[in-house]
Amino acid sequence: MQSRQNEGDEKKMAEKITVALGQMSCRVGDKKHNIDVMKKKIKQAKRIKADIIAFPELCLTGYVVRDRAYEFAEPVPNGPSVHEIEKIAKNEEMHIIFGMIERSSKAVAVLHNTAVLIGPDGFIGKYQKMHLPTHSVFEEKRYFRLGYQAPVFETDAGKIGMIICYDVYFPEITRLLSLKGTKLIVCISASPSVRRGFFETLTAARAMENNVFLAFVNLAGIEDGLQFWGGSRIIAPSGSVISQAKYDADDFIFAAIDYSDINRVQAWVPTMRDLRPEIFTSLRKEAENL
Amino acid sequence: MLLTKEALRLDLPLTATRLKRFIKDYVEKTRAKGIVVALSGGVDSSTAAALSALAIGGNKVLALSMPEKETCNALDTKHIRKLARKFRFTLERIDITNILQALYESIPAFDPSDVVSKGNIKARTRMICTYYYANLHNRIVVGPSDKSETMMGYFTKWGDVAADIAPLMDLYKTQVRQLAAHIGIPIEITAKPSTPQLWPEQLAEDELGIKYELLDLVLLGLENFMSAEDIATQLNLRLKLVEGVKTRWLSTEHKRRTPLTTKIEYRTVGKDFRLPYTPP
Repeated sequence: MQSRQNEGDEKKMAEKITVALGQMSCRVGDKKHNIDVMKKKIKQAKRIKADIIAFPELCLTGYVVRDRAYEFAEPVPNGPSVHEIEKIAKNEEMHIIFGMIERSSKAVAVLHNTAVLIGPDGFIGKYQKMHLPTHSVFEEKRYFRLGYQAPVFETDAGKIGMIICYDVYFPEITRLLSLKGTKLIVCISASPSVRRGFFETLTAARAMENNVFLAFVNLAGIEDGLQFWGGSRIIAPSGSVISQAKYDADDFIFAAIDYSDINRVQAWVPTMRDLRPEIFTSLRKEAENL
Repeated sequence: MLLTKEALRLDLPLTATRLKRFIKDYVEKTRAKGIVVALSGGVDSSTAAALSALAIGGNKVLALSMPEKETCNALDTKHIRKLARKFRFTLERIDITNILQALYESIPAFDPSDVVSKGNIKARTRMICTYYYANLHNRIVVGPSDKSETMMGYFTKWGDVAADIAPLMDLYKTQVRQLAAHIGIPIEITAKPSTPQLWPEQLAEDELGIKYELLDLVLLGLENFMSAEDIATQLNLRLKLVEGVKTRWLSTEHKRRTPLTTKIEYRTVGKDFRLPYTPP
């Protein structure tokens, strides 16, 4: 049944799309400035006829906001920033993914680190970060509630799943997205320089092991001494990097991707065919007894 | 983890790029007109001054040489001048002898035999002069502190450590030496024995009781959550020496913090009042 649904879905979506990534540095707490930066990159994406553009994690406010997270948070989708990005998406006929601090509509002190997906017709969906780093320089659990769902969104630009930064260390979530039929996983990130090597390895691995395209978009710039390394990239299901942004500086990159390439790679390294679901049961059992 | 010289090796071009980027970014974000550095002629302050000049241009960097009669030596003066010429920053010399003398004479309890307390006056006097220039010219102060001395608490509280930014604070002394050589600091400076210059003949390694090459590996082990026993075994050191380093590191934490307070109210500075620095 699941398989038939996927076949039907594939008929609806575009086979070839152009993905753009807006690698940016943020002015901490200055949403107007940050949206202006995004707007310029969206116009750039429009000029090269991109179907979708993605921006980094928490790019609306910057990453290192600490206690000001409560002040900067907004509801999703019924907040002013989402409405503003909706207008831009409509004008430019663009799919846009960006990161922001979401305030729960039920409890004002409940915040999420959220990736928002907006299409030309408005808000499509959101993903709330499931793995919140709270170690080393990271203190996300201090501020954010964990997300519990990994949704997949059917759009004119394909079947899209989103993850955020540290999520990439956990193969379960990208596996889940790929089992739900995702063809393009967008990983929005705020990764500081010392972690560059890990992310370069893990992003390629997540694309390869799931036979999907993966677009990784990172912050650039420096916030409170944390240097974000940029290096955004679009990775093919084979693991090869199709397009890569500069390190340590703002940049704009794009690549045309053909979803039918997935079929070819799936035959070459058939990870989905060889998947062993019974391992998941053991995995859960062992993880619950750490 | 293997505690070898290799573990302290840096990607030098990348490190230099990141530090220059950090310095330049901070100056731009704070809209400062430049940088002031207190320059002793040692490897740390020389590297801080040189990196500052490489980051924003020597014409926007003012290095202050602040000798005083008890510790002043011709070799340091020569090194400082050579460095200023090479990295094209402005150099100003302030002889602080008279300021110190006035302080010694004005403090009723002043005891010249207490060389540490007296030496700290020198470091704090240099800090006062450095911040005077920073205020006067709307510049930021770039500090020279490295990670070895910061972890050991081997500095004067509110003295040489006082700065707006300390680009070298995450690099051990031997790593600063590597970086210094990479950016072109002359070998006579990088190879010179370290001294805080608080009294004549003072040498850092004598006071710390261990060579930096070993100290840095001990500290690297502690940084990586290794036990004192494992560190001592690997480095073939006496356990007592490693434990002494660990004790000194932990007991000087008060020097690396904002002043401790006790929680009374809703949000407390230095505890749960966590804010990003956002210049106007």
